[in-house]
Amino acid sequence: MKRSALSVKAKDKSLIYGYGYVLPALIFMLALIGYPIIYNIYISFLDMTAQSIGQGHSDYIGLQNYITIFQDSTMWKALYNTFFFTILCILFQFMIGFGLALFFSKKFRAARYIKGLLVIGYMMPMTVNALLWKFMLSPSGGIINSIMVSLHLTDQPVEWLMSSETVMWGLVIANTWVGIPFNMLLLSTGLDNIPADIYESASIDGAKSVQRFIYITVPMIKQSIFSVLLLGFVYTFKVFDLVYVATGGGPVDASEVLSTYSYNLSFKTYYFGQGAAVANVLFVCLFVVALIYLAAIGKDEVN
Amino acid sequence: MRRLFRNECSRDIAYTIIAVIIAVVFLFPVYWILISSLKSDQEIFSRVQTWWPKKIHLENYINQILNKTKTANLPVQFRNSGIIATGSMILSLILSIPAGYGISRFNIPGKKPILLTFLVTQMLPASLILTPLFLIFSKAGILNSYLAPILATATISIPFVIMVLRPIFLAYPHEIEEAALIDGCNQFTAFLKVTLPVCKSGIITAAAFSFIYGWNDLIYSITFNNKADLLPMTSGIYQFMDAYGTQWNMIMAYGVITELPIIVLFVALQKHIVGGLAGGAVKG
Repeated sequence: MKRSALSVKAKDKSLIYGYGYVLPALIFMLALIGYPIIYNIYISFLDMTAQSIGQGHSDYIGLQNYITIFQDSTMWKALYNTFFFTILCILFQFMIGFGLALFFSKKFRAARYIKGLLVIGYMMPMTVNALLWKFMLSPSGGIINSIMVSLHLTDQPVEWLMSSETVMWGLVIANTWVGIPFNMLLLSTGLDNIPADIYESASIDGAKSVQRFIYITVPMIKQSIFSVLLLGFVYTFKVFDLVYVATGGGPVDASEVLSTYSYNLSFKTYYFGQGAAVANVLFVCLFVVALIYLAAIGKDEVN
Repeated sequence: MRRLFRNECSRDIAYTIIAVIIAVVFLFPVYWILISSLKSDQEIFSRVQTWWPKKIHLENYINQILNKTKTANLPVQFRNSGIIATGSMILSLILSIPAGYGISRFNIPGKKPILLTFLVTQMLPASLILTPLFLIFSKAGILNSYLAPILATATISIPFVIMVLRPIFLAYPHEIEEAALIDGCNQFTAFLKVTLPVCKSGIITAAAFSFIYGWNDLIYSITFNNKADLLPMTSGIYQFMDAYGTQWNMIMAYGVITELPIIVLFVALQKHIVGGLAGGAVKG
């Protein structure tokens, strides 16, 4: 009896400590992320502009902001561009990243070190990466065009970020370079966890390397592949810095994406209500994908 | 493939050569930013590209460091970046180290939804909270201060750091802590004096990441601060482009200085950073 009373007390104490450690961070995140998300939904129903804030009152206008943004062709352009950018980036990052991960899974002494070195581009500020690629892709003085011309891949320099036809491709190239190490690293972690004896028994069975890849490697790292594709989607879909710095959404609106469009509406033209509405559309797209992700990994990860 | 190599050693060398070639090609942009930052304007726009500057123009750096160009005030912006990154790092560590510890060490009810909250907040786009935070900060009177970007960037690093630290705290043997409790520590002092020093490498990784997230921020600073003397390097470089147009050598030099602290941190802590990225991202 006495003993159980003591352990209840100890349990209470550990609860107090547990929450004491966790709650400050949780409250901080709820205050600076949770509350703003709800506030953002509210703002998207208001006719909020710089002027209405100055007057201290913004009218409730229901879904009008959503109607307005979807009547604007720039919104459709931004939606299309965001999906185009995300899907192509993921495709290239994943394929090249997977190739590199497979190569670096070979056992040689410098593998770990050189693989680590490749990650540096991923850690660099996106603003610097954006300017660097703007420079390298530039039609005059840009190294990419110089190489393409000297290899006779093109007669005259491609305008890349300056032409509305190629601008999204230029952004995809720049972002793919940043994303490759991320994909490589996550897939590498998956490959490292495959027990070596599985391959050994397969090679005794006479499996060719292609078969080994399809029937052993891929199923064994299914989880990693799934994670990297979905995380890639989430991180790529919300692109802002790269587009904002490299093209500013231009020429005209040729490279506008959802996040830059939302930013421009809120902080360039001060239509806060419409900017919030665009951000919510972005959120809904991400939310659907995040739900799939959590449903898929939630059971294993959170325990 | 195997028959090609007579022994393990030559196989090792062959793979290493291929790996070096991959690294040279892949890291070429990093080389190019450095080389271009040392060239003259004419050399950058010359017909034939040079792989090494004809003459090294250190003045591209010196003039900016001494703020002779009067375009973007580099010394002030470097300091601003440092203040924002350091402030964000300190705030993030104070909140996320105990949270990462508490969530792995104690079996508290509601652990699952709490972890899910951290997981989800890590994925959210800045655009989503930008307008509300602007209005909230405006009401709180902290627009045009260092505090605004510090608070906002800490929201990026806190969930990430928790995910990086959780497996480390889970793997840590709690018996060590219990011994300290018997020696007269209370739970909190045992955490500070015994657990944290043992998990030092995890804490260093956490500190590096939260510094980098603060340093790399662009969107929060340009949104919450419109005073030029509060802006960090990342937004300075953006201003710069407007003013300088295509003076790429100057822009690249500014870029090199912007990423210098990141590269120093990366080289010093490569193992921790790479491991942390894999761990935190997979779990997150």
